[in-house]
Amino acid sequence: MLRNLAYTTAITLVLSGGALAQEHDHSHEDVTLYRVFVGDHAEPHVTAFDLGDPDNRWTFETTGQNKLYTVNNGAAVVAVQSDDDAVSFFNSGISLHAHGDHSDIEISDPAAIEETLTGPRPFHMIDHNGKAVINFDRGGYAEIIDTHELSHGELVTTRLPQARAHHGYAAPIGDTWVTSVASDAPVEGDAAPDRIGLQQVNEDGSPVGEVETCTAIHGEAFSGAYLATGCQEGVLTVTDGEDRPVFEMLQYPNDLPNGESTGTLLGSKAVQVFLGNYGADGLVVIDPVDEPHFRYIELPFRRVDFVLDSANARFGYVLTEDGTLHQIDLLDAEVAQSARVTEPYSMDGHWNDPRPRLAMAGDEVIMSDPNAGLVRRISSETLEEVGTIEVEGTPYNIVVAGGSGVVHGAEGEHHDHEHSHDHDDDQIYQGYFDDDQVEERALSDWAGDWQSVFPYLEDGTLEPVMKHKAENGDKTAEEYHEYYEVGYQTDVERIVIEGDSVTFYENGEPLQARYASDGYQILTYEAGNRGVRFIFEKIDGDEDAPQYIQFSDHGIAPAAADHYHLYWGDDRAALLKEVTNWPTYYPSSSSADEIVRDMIAH
Amino acid sequence: MTLRWIKHAVTFSVISLITFPASAQDDKLAVVASFSIIGDFAYQVGGDHIELDTLVGPDGDAHVYEPKPADAMALARADVVLTNGLELEGFMNRLVTASGTEADIVTLTDHVQTREEPGGGHYHFVNGEAIFHAGAHDPHAWQSVVNAKIYVEGIREAFCAADADGCEQYEANAERYLAELDTLDSEIRDSIAALPESNRTVVVGHSAFGYYEAEYGIRFLSPQGVSTESEASAADVAGLIRQMREANARGIFAENISDSRLVEQIAREAGIDVAGVLYSDALSPAGGPAPDYLTMMRHNTHAITSALASD
Repeated sequence: MLRNLAYTTAITLVLSGGALAQEHDHSHEDVTLYRVFVGDHAEPHVTAFDLGDPDNRWTFETTGQNKLYTVNNGAAVVAVQSDDDAVSFFNSGISLHAHGDHSDIEISDPAAIEETLTGPRPFHMIDHNGKAVINFDRGGYAEIIDTHELSHGELVTTRLPQARAHHGYAAPIGDTWVTSVASDAPVEGDAAPDRIGLQQVNEDGSPVGEVETCTAIHGEAFSGAYLATGCQEGVLTVTDGEDRPVFEMLQYPNDLPNGESTGTLLGSKAVQVFLGNYGADGLVVIDPVDEPHFRYIELPFRRVDFVLDSANARFGYVLTEDGTLHQIDLLDAEVAQSARVTEPYSMDGHWNDPRPRLAMAGDEVIMSDPNAGLVRRISSETLEEVGTIEVEGTPYNIVVAGGSGVVHGAEGEHHDHEHSHDHDDDQIYQGYFDDDQVEERALSDWAGDWQSVFPYLEDGTLEPVMKHKAENGDKTAEEYHEYYEVGYQTDVERIVIEGDSVTFYENGEPLQARYASDGYQILTYEAGNRGVRFIFEKIDGDEDAPQYIQFSDHGIAPAAADHYHLYWGDDRAALLKEVTNWPTYYPSSSSADEIVRDMIAH
Repeated sequence: MTLRWIKHAVTFSVISLITFPASAQDDKLAVVASFSIIGDFAYQVGGDHIELDTLVGPDGDAHVYEPKPADAMALARADVVLTNGLELEGFMNRLVTASGTEADIVTLTDHVQTREEPGGGHYHFVNGEAIFHAGAHDPHAWQSVVNAKIYVEGIREAFCAADADGCEQYEANAERYLAELDTLDSEIRDSIAALPESNRTVVVGHSAFGYYEAEYGIRFLSPQGVSTESEASAADVAGLIRQMREANARGIFAENISDSRLVEQIAREAGIDVAGVLYSDALSPAGGPAPDYLTMMRHNTHAITSALASD
């Protein structure tokens, strides 16, 4: 059986090109990567950099000052340039796809999408249900953008006309739409008309229901099943009903300070709850279902910007003009802690003067600091600064794309992360799983009776898997077959692992030895992501049994394997370089059909 | 002396935190159940000894539930949180994080022999659209009474671990209820054994009955592989109808948590009537046909056997 290694080394030479993808495919590396996009206050450009490695940096020219939004779970970034009648779009280079108990993450460089949108004063943007909707305040319409297409670099738009141009928004509710509505009273010069409410419309803009009153409607957010929007008299909620949207006005209760209202809202993605401003120096936690609908939080100074915690729905963060960041507890409706994070930025003056803006990246608050020319990284737990990143010019509007996910290697082109090739530079791998997340594993994780899948490849049983891969990959089924023929190749048809004993069966002949843990090795693949080999060394047994065996099974910490790749040989270091032949084992109790199903599902 | 002082302090804090309901008031074990069926199990074992909060109530679908701030607060004051696991409660992890709860989070399917989910997930039908729920394992384990007993045993253990004083009572309650589950299990087996061998197939909209199928030998067809973007395509429905004919399927059922448009369409095209409503992922409200687990399983079994017994 030891001939196996010599044989595969020869194959390595032949197939070195496309081989690595397979290793990713089955190693399922956990990856965390945040990418920050910053719009300059004065100059028409957007700077992007990787939070863990800010030298990975890109600059994109636009037409004017950029207000930034992430859409489609951060896959794309929208840059709205209100004063310059333009909207630009970027592929963030990071896409996350929820997939059962984990997310898949795909990483590439960010890129500007060639097409832009132009029109009179684009302003509010809503991202909901796969649609990004940008209101053109002086155009009298909203443009609806398919965010899935956008993530593939295509700008596909539909126009929803409004009765009269105004500073407002349109939003999808189930299969239908709502739009803010302006008064039809005449105005002087180019003054904006008053806004009076919200109305259900069809996608062609034709009105369906009555106008629901929401005086001076401003600010909107989605959370859970609800859209909430700020009005003079309260917060109007909308939810998808059986036949038509259901509107409910939550009036400001008497115990809130008089004469103020909500004009900016944030909606939690994790718990059905909103955080809104209430006047300049107050916040309200809004529960659209349970009473009390409003809980008020007084701030010591006027609010500069606020954001919800994307990792822990309990918290939000608000910066006040004295330069203090406050952690808001949404469940208790109180300021949980505060810390000075920058110099004061007075709220006197124009709303669009350069002042800090907040975004979240996992357990950090990311804050632009325009006067300091910095982006600050602040721990959301302690509110202590954990780092700063210099950004040229006057960094202002800011968003963060990315998160944590699992890398599968099937689509090789998504992994060409050109900054990840130098294996000597530790920084380069920041953002990938941390070494301290990797834990030793016992041989018992692989205990059981296992069968090689190679015979199934040879007898054609796995052809549906090859076809499936061909439909989703860049090779034909025949090419995948050849590729796996090298990958799965082995004469060891069965392995039984029990206690510290491993028995290899080759043509029914057993070879048995006892093995002890020899630690693990974290491997870095060519595309920059990593995997872990768990290594066991022979302590006694048949002479012909391999000195080392190395498991690779998607895991980085103790967990029972449901299938695995096994590498074996007498040269520990040489084995670690083996990436083209990965004999693969499934439980002997699995039927051929179950194996096929499992492979297709992966 | 000390005890009286503590009592006094507790009373005081209740007055000051008037927005927090119930459980702080007494020394009952505070239990949160993720959805109605687990809620019933918890009630059977805990009885009056526990203060029970059920997050997803009757006729609610845990797969698509939107958690509320009150749910996070319930978790925050809980001693024990009972969940199904197997990715049924997609909202639970974020709720646990937000609540900062120190309760024991118990996954009741931990000791269940789980079924792999063919195709890596299953479909739900909401507002006429098929929504795919990815997951490697079928989460609907309670559809086998054998598994329900494992849930109940898990709850008994969790309650005893969290409240040693009440343990005797929990064990007595569990013993009584486990015996009722044994009776239920035999009843189901008997009523299915009475069916002709050739009449063992029914149709449901959402494939939530895999464990029932494996345990009791009723085959459930459901429109797998339909497009997630629209209603089931004509070809999918035609394929299902062919399967139904081949398998002599005699009953087609709507479900309490799902919208029934798809099964109505299938029934129309197959030329049969919808045979009734099965309770898959939630109990009915009190007074309905399935207000507790025992009644639910009897209702489902009766609905299925009635449809299959008819000629």
